Amino acid sequence: MTTESHSTAIALSEPAPAEITAGSEVAVKVTVTCSAGCDLGGLPLTVQGPGDDKSECTLATSDPGNSESAEIALTAPRQVGPQTWHITFEPHEADGVRHDGCSLAVTINTIPHGTSLAVWDIPSPVLKGQPFTIKVGAKSAANSDLRGLGIAVHDANGAVAARGRLRDTPLPGTAALYWDEVELIAPAEEGLSRWSVRFAADSLALPHDGTAAEFSAMVSRPPEHRLTVKVIEQKSKEPIADVQVRLGPFRGTTDPAGIAEVMMPKGTYDLHVWKSAYEAPGRPIEIEGDLSVEVEALFVPEEDPDNAWTM
Amino acid sequence: MSTQDRNNKNGAPPALSRRSFLSKGAAAGVGAAALTGATAANAQAQTRWDLTADVVVIGAGVGGLPAAITARDNGASVIIVEANHDIGGRGMLSGGRLHLGGGNAIQQRHNLKDSADQVYADWVRFDSNSSRYSDRDLVRVFADENVPTYNFLVENGVEFIDKMIGPEQASTIPRTFVTVEWHVPSEIVAPRRNRNGSGLVRRLEASARKKGVQILLRHKMTRIIREQQNAGRVLGITAMAGTNPVNIKANKGVIIATGGHTGNVNFRRMFDPRLTEEYQQACEPWVHQGADGELAAMDIGGSLWATACQTRDGGAAITKTRHIGCRWGYSSLVYETDSPMFQLARATGLTVEDWQDVIFVNQVGKRFWNEVDGSYNFFAACMAWHGDKSKLNGGGPIWAIFDADGAAREKWNTKPPNVDPDGFFFSADTISELAGKIKNPHQKQPMSGAVLQETVERYNSFVVAGADADFKKPKPLHKIEKPPFYAAWTTPILHDTLTGLRTNTNSEVVDTRGEVIQGLYAAGECQGGFAQHGLARCLAFGRVAGRHAASRTT
Repeated sequence: MTTESHSTAIALSEPAPAEITAGSEVAVKVTVTCSAGCDLGGLPLTVQGPGDDKSECTLATSDPGNSESAEIALTAPRQVGPQTWHITFEPHEADGVRHDGCSLAVTINTIPHGTSLAVWDIPSPVLKGQPFTIKVGAKSAANSDLRGLGIAVHDANGAVAARGRLRDTPLPGTAALYWDEVELIAPAEEGLSRWSVRFAADSLALPHDGTAAEFSAMVSRPPEHRLTVKVIEQKSKEPIADVQVRLGPFRGTTDPAGIAEVMMPKGTYDLHVWKSAYEAPGRPIEIEGDLSVEVEALFVPEEDPDNAWTM
Repeated sequence: MSTQDRNNKNGAPPALSRRSFLSKGAAAGVGAAALTGATAANAQAQTRWDLTADVVVIGAGVGGLPAAITARDNGASVIIVEANHDIGGRGMLSGGRLHLGGGNAIQQRHNLKDSADQVYADWVRFDSNSSRYSDRDLVRVFADENVPTYNFLVENGVEFIDKMIGPEQASTIPRTFVTVEWHVPSEIVAPRRNRNGSGLVRRLEASARKKGVQILLRHKMTRIIREQQNAGRVLGITAMAGTNPVNIKANKGVIIATGGHTGNVNFRRMFDPRLTEEYQQACEPWVHQGADGELAAMDIGGSLWATACQTRDGGAAITKTRHIGCRWGYSSLVYETDSPMFQLARATGLTVEDWQDVIFVNQVGKRFWNEVDGSYNFFAACMAWHGDKSKLNGGGPIWAIFDADGAAREKWNTKPPNVDPDGFFFSADTISELAGKIKNPHQKQPMSGAVLQETVERYNSFVVAGADADFKKPKPLHKIEKPPFYAAWTTPILHDTLTGLRTNTNSEVVDTRGEVIQGLYAAGECQGGFAQHGLARCLAFGRVAGRHAASRTT
């Protein structure tokens, strides 16, 4: 009996992604075609991964008379760099027909997972030369466990100002934000000061890129004097509660009596108040001792479009 | 009775009911026939009319209902076709505020002097962009129709709250009056949200039905039939009832009252090319304003008019979203979970009390304007080009970014059904991660985590310093720093249609050569020439159109 020989070809149905993160999975679809149009459905493909792992899958008939295809899940190794998978259709002979083998190499670059940071509860102003605390959280894009990893806070000159170590449990309300509270010493110079938090993300089972974030705080002299601000409505003279009072970095919020007390050092400031639907111009304030001021804010109601209109 | 059942109020199968009611003299048979280039005789001969009425009104909203009632009052038989499953159009979801003065009964009770002449004088003011671009011939008609329209509404059962609002828009005295909300919660599309316009349209619907107006729901007009494509009188319309064409003959006239064009991207971009697909339309998904009437009229020669009204950079043509984190966040409209629209709306949104609690970023993650501003400068900034070479028009999505502290200040519950996590609301543990999560059909490119983080860090430094060095936001108050972080859809929403078909003072549609298209009328937002926000002009010109159409000889 004469054996007929057919060549075969294997190709990706769609281009594979150029890169994926280390340890992740990606699906690729390959098609195998017989030169004589034979149905190769049910025949195996072998997949040789970048390591020693080897797996097998089966071709399904996708385009009768033309090609068979298989969707193959490739798991990237936990190493960074180009990774190659070899997908092979082994030679096969049956019913007097021999199909030649064919092979395809798929190379995908694996990259580290990302990380990101949050920095919060930063007091401002901070008092020059005095300690203060901030909270720092780190997150892995792969939701990796980051407990015990170090974070470092650098000052504007790049010097390490403080270090922290991520706690054992993520911050409540977050998916996997590992965090710590870090104590810093405010610089001796007044004014806006900046720091950066750096997270190296090393020594994790999955490779991760490090990351950094910046934050700022106003550095001030110690407050010496009490500024009492009373905010009233311009026409009714009624006190207004929950008004935000701002004098540069110094702030307060009015109570139901319309009063906010703000501790401040000597100096000249612009006093601003803010509440939705109220208007009040800013004004300069000279702080030389304890001081009380009254601010009139004009109620400019913007009608609530959800207001009820009834008889 | 459910709103879906309203089509069968006569208690008989709709087709049988329609024929027995109005089409005694009509030719038998169903089906539409092509009319291109047909002569008058040919057009009539080739069209097999399924139904006939003296006046056919397209749209059962704030323009169409008064048109139909007025035509009926003047002796005409009337059919309304309505594409939706219920009547009302956008009026159903409006606040029911009518800008109708002129010395009406409420004004008189409150000893407020007003007159038609004063209404006219106010609404042709050159120093208000609400009025300076309007066609003064139409304003004069509107002014004269103020009191008659108010009286018409009262006579047809519409109830008003005995309060005056204003002055608003170009008016110099209070002229805004609010209708009483409909009393049946199941027949209000957005129940418990003070949609007083429901009382206007439901009461007009009741009056229209009582007077014998036939309302055909789920009948979408697809064509206005004219003797010749660009000549002769209008004969009727074709409407689709599902997949079935229904030809309706109008012995006297067809009144277009289909609403505006804000939902039709191609159409609205005739007036402002920036208004690309990402901008939503107010009152969706209840009503889609597809410019159907304008297009059908333009197909047979109709002209647009006073197009400057649309781009006057004032009023409510474009509005700031107030309910964020959902697709449809129009300022005064919330679909609660018991609304029949909730399944489509999918979220109620987070209502913003203080824009200090968020920052806005564009699709590349950058701030672009002072967030507490709601002016047309803000809208221009929203629609600005920001370097995307693949999208030169429109500004892409706008996202409100806030943190856990901001959510706490606003007392927001950031879970469904308040937000729509399917493309319109995202949360993450860090700002950088948040950027990567933003995926939306209109977000044409991924937002860079590094860019968004830099934006937030910079803004936070402004809060610390007490001044917004980039956009002069007054007193930036709150840092965005405490996890988790949120991104909520805040892209501006389009509301007013302020231009449309050219009409004369009888509401008769005029063609591109300045000639009246005999038998064709337009009223409501599809009518051009009068840039007034709200319901009043729709009601007034609906009445004008109905009255004139009924007076035509067959």
